[in-house]
This record gives sequence, C-alpha cells and structure tokens, in this order.
Amino acid sequence: MAATAMDQDGGGGDVVTPGELLGNSLTLVAGRGAYADGRSVRASVTGHRRIVPPAPGSDDQRSTVEVVGHKAHGAVPQPGSVVIARVTKVMPRMANADIMCVDSKAIKEKFTGLIRQQDVRATEIDKVDMYQSYRPGDIVRAVVLSLGDARAYYLSTAKNELGVVSAQSIAGGTLVPVSWTEMQCDLTGQIEQRKVAKVE
Amino acid sequence: MEYVDPLTGFRVDGRRPNEMRKLKGEVGVVARADGSALFEMGNTRVIAAVYGPREVQNKGQQVNSKEALVRCEYRMAEFSTGDRRRKPKGDRRSTEISLVIRQTMEASILTHLMPRSQIDIFVQVLQADGGTRSACINAATLALADAGIPMRDIVTSCSAGYLCSTPLLDLNYLEDSAGGADVTVGILAKMDKVTLLQMDAKLAMDTFENVMGLAIEGCKAIATYIREVLLENTKRLECQRG
Repeated sequence: MAATAMDQDGGGGDVVTPGELLGNSLTLVAGRGAYADGRSVRASVTGHRRIVPPAPGSDDQRSTVEVVGHKAHGAVPQPGSVVIARVTKVMPRMANADIMCVDSKAIKEKFTGLIRQQDVRATEIDKVDMYQSYRPGDIVRAVVLSLGDARAYYLSTAKNELGVVSAQSIAGGTLVPVSWTEMQCDLTGQIEQRKVAKVE
Repeated sequence: MEYVDPLTGFRVDGRRPNEMRKLKGEVGVVARADGSALFEMGNTRVIAAVYGPREVQNKGQQVNSKEALVRCEYRMAEFSTGDRRRKPKGDRRSTEISLVIRQTMEASILTHLMPRSQIDIFVQVLQADGGTRSACINAATLALADAGIPMRDIVTSCSAGYLCSTPLLDLNYLEDSAGGADVTVGILAKMDKVTLLQMDAKLAMDTFENVMGLAIEGCKAIATYIREVLLENTKRLECQRG
C-alpha cells in the first residue's frame, strides 16, 4: 500500500489535517485533498500527504501534492464519465435509470439518470423506439452527457460500447447478445430487442 | 457576586481567568452517519453528526447548483439544562444558533467541489453549561473532518467574557448569565481568519480587543487539540487496517 509505505519512511509525520500548509504553489500543484490559497497550498482533508512527481514531458515541472483520506469519497457523476445504471422506467420519449456505478466505482447515494430518445443510438436517432431499446431492470452502460435538469443526469448510449450490458428476458432467463439490436434468452431462445453494448 | 476572587484571582469554578475548561473530543460516535463527533468543554457536551455530500433532497432549497448546500440543525436535549430550566423562548434561539453554525461551517467547506449535493450537520446538546455555540462549532468541525469533507481549514470557536474588570476565557453557565459581555469568536486556525464574531452587551473598544484576543488564543488552543484528535484517529484507523 502506497500510503503505508510513505508513512514508514516519513516516520508518521505525514498525516495532515485541514488547513495545514503543504508548500508553495510555485513548487507544488494542489491535487486531490489539497487546494491553493493564493501562493500557499493547503490540505483540505485529514489524511496522508503524498507527492506525485510531474508527468515526464509535461510543460508544468511542478510536483502534485495529494492528501489521501481514510474515507473514500462517494463518486459523483461528472459530464463525460461512464456510468452503469439500472433502467427503472421506459416512456415513449425517454427512459429513467438509477445510476449505480461511476467509472467502475460503486456510488453510495442514489442518482437518477435520464436517457432521451435522441441519445439512445448514434444513427437514425429519429426512428428510435424506446420500448425496443430498453426494458425496466436492464443494466446499461452509458456516458453522462450533462448535469441535466434538477431531477436527473442526462445519459447517452450513442456509441458502440454503450448500451445494455446485462438483462433478463421475460421468461426470467439471462439475455445473451446476438447482434447490436438483439438479445436472446438462454432458456427459451426467444429474441428480444435491445440497444446492446459491444462489450470488449 | 464575585466572579473573580480578589485575593487569589481564581474564578468561581477554580479556573484562572485565561484558563479553558477541560476539552475532550471523540470521533466516530454515530455509526450510521458519514462523520460524527462528541465534543466536551467542561460540563458542556455536544454530539454532532454529518451526512453527505449526498444528493439534494428538497430541490427547492437548492440556491446555487454549482455549490453544495449546507444545512444545519441545532437542538438542545430536554434534559441538558437540568433544573435551570430556560425561559420558554420558543424556537428562536435554536434557529439562530443553527444559522450561525451553518454560516460558520459554510465559510470553511469547499462547497464548489461538490456541486448539486447537500451536506447535513446535526448538532445535539447533551449537557449545557455555557458556550454551547462554541462547542457545537468545534463538534461540527470534527465531524466534518471525520466525514472527509474538504475544508479550507479547521474552524474552531471559543468564547470570552469580561467580568469584575477581568477578561475571562471560556465562560461557563454561571459566568454567562452574569450579564457581562460575552464574545464568541470563530476562526480558521491556520489562516488566521475570523469567520464568526458575536457579542452581547457592550464593551469599551480597548477592552473588547483584549477580550477578543483572549478568545482567539482559546480558539487556537482548541484547534491544536482538534488536530491531535484527528491525527490520533487516523493513526488508530491505520493500525486497524494493518
């Protein structure tokens, strides 16, 4: 564990509390758990101080200082992040989904997402039938388009690798992808329509 | 009544004028909450619980979607005052203190890092013996730090008063109700910035400066203590992790 290793050679003096001075902004960049206040870089959470050297070849030759706390922050969806969501409700022009994971991290709170008809696939976006794309209960991989309205994040599945990744058939069996629009039930062999994700 | 003994210079509870009550801080006392703390200043004992950052529950309260919404609820337990039952002032006092704590904590939390989310701070007074406002702010700071919420700095608060021509640090209930001035100060400890300053009654300008200076010294001592508690807790967690 990196933090523990740091602690051993730092002799335990590497634990910092909010507000503590970490260095000067001329030599350091504030990373996670740190912030710059004018010239000074300070800690914003309690945890271990860690210094990351600058990426080779980057213009900025300053090291980044991070403070890693003991409590992992619940991930929050950001525009552009890939999320895993469970479809809760399908309507003619949109589908609602509950976001469960952000960038492979499970989230603690519930966030709701909204997939609009025009965001389901990249081509023929006017001919999308929502009921032929999603069913309630489907697990969908999607990308966050924007923070959306006050109620939900806008999600999009308009890419090959986005769409339904796991679903159950009407019979209760697991659906296996057949093509990018079809999935087959492993119990009955019945074909169901979905916007299927191309999983690598 | 003599609040400072003219011979020995001791106060009614045996403290020196610039002496604080015994501090005690404990982190992680509410298992359900994201962060929690118990804070004692002498006989004043408060518990704070922090929930969040979580999604905004009541969208109507959201003023600025680019910043986290901070909410605070201050309550006093029925049994906290014992026989010295306070006059029924309605809920005015609690509302005011809730607001004060909220504003003070908001000044320190990096709200812009958590857009569209809310942070709930609940503080409950278990035992009241003067200085509940300060104790609540200190407890809330500890709880926020325990929850891992990014903050500019640790906010600490302490009160000071002026009785018998002596500036007194950290008033207890008896001294608080003596009718003298009561100055409550909240500071960002490392940055030397004042985020809260309240005073009831009047004071001469130069006395006020002395009293405020004393309160700031108290705040700094509390900040040192709070940092110790946090470091202790982090080390303990690390030992558990192995």
